[in-house]
Amino acid sequence: MTFRDRLVATIAAARPVLEEPGVLVVGSEVPNLLEPGAAATLVVSQDLDVGVPVSRHAAVKRHLVEMMVAFTPSPEEPSVWTPRSPELLEVNFVGIDPSRDPADAYVFDDDQLPLLVFGALSLVTAGVEIEVGGARVRLPRPAGLLLEKLVTDRTGEKGERDLLVALGLLMTAGPADLEELDAAYSRLRPELRYAVRSNLTVLSLLEPRLGMPDPRPQRATVAAALRRLEGDVP
Amino acid sequence: MTPALERRARELRARVLVRSWAYRQRHHARGVWFKLRRVLAEASAAFVVAPEDAAALVAEGCRVEPVGESLEPRKVIVFAAAERVARIGSARAVPVRLGRDVLEAQHLVLTPFDLLP
Repeated sequence: MTFRDRLVATIAAARPVLEEPGVLVVGSEVPNLLEPGAAATLVVSQDLDVGVPVSRHAAVKRHLVEMMVAFTPSPEEPSVWTPRSPELLEVNFVGIDPSRDPADAYVFDDDQLPLLVFGALSLVTAGVEIEVGGARVRLPRPAGLLLEKLVTDRTGEKGERDLLVALGLLMTAGPADLEELDAAYSRLRPELRYAVRSNLTVLSLLEPRLGMPDPRPQRATVAAALRRLEGDVP
Repeated sequence: MTPALERRARELRARVLVRSWAYRQRHHARGVWFKLRRVLAEASAAFVVAPEDAAALVAEGCRVEPVGESLEPRKVIVFAAAERVARIGSARAVPVRLGRDVLEAQHLVLTPFDLLP
């Protein structure tokens, strides 16, 4: 079973939640789903991040019972739903609160589905809707998700995986996405703009990791993005 | 109810505090690492060269990157065209990353990327 097969099966199994208005797939699977035919060739992690706007939390909760056929909430961290079958990926629920500062984070507490709300996800807005595994899935606009990946402090292996997701988004971004990125970047306060550029320099110097895409062939793209954000548009 | 999530939120806020401190220090020693990474990000390749070869490049007009002078011991870091570096007998290619080779080098020549269309 390929990674794509597992991703598609996971989306099909999580369909009731994914089709709830306002819910977005965020995180590492977005570049995979943005590839033509959702080819899913950029494997950096084995999970599906589901962004739930806190304003839609109650509506999403109503669908959780339908997901219990295929997943079960982790006792240690109930926002993580582990698959009952090895042919599915883990589902991680994360909170989106457009009113929060991008550097903020808080816990939206709930007995059934607590959420860690990442302020950086306030930079994410809804983009295209695609059909995968019989489910209609809403993806974020690439520019916002790219900025979310770059504005967040990244450390360790998880941080490197997130930067590879940013690279995947950068590789699939079109001119309009880059213009949107410029505009959103310019609205950030200086400290966060610095964080974005700093993370791009870290991304530029990443070493390849076993089983993940080699970032080195894309270093020129990263350098171009840095120059672009610094205002030196070629 | 959600100690694991509370712990992760605390850790995330702590990292933000550290990052804010690093940002305030960006014009001091702490900021050197960003500046060095920023210079290396523009390099398609890196070479350690002999002091006299680095001096020759500077004499030819290659700009010395200021970040090298912020380090101790100081480094001479210059960009030069790949064709020019190919004529430097002492040039030894090293990985473009913050690894031992780059950190130990005292005379480093970087080649730029061709500008993307």
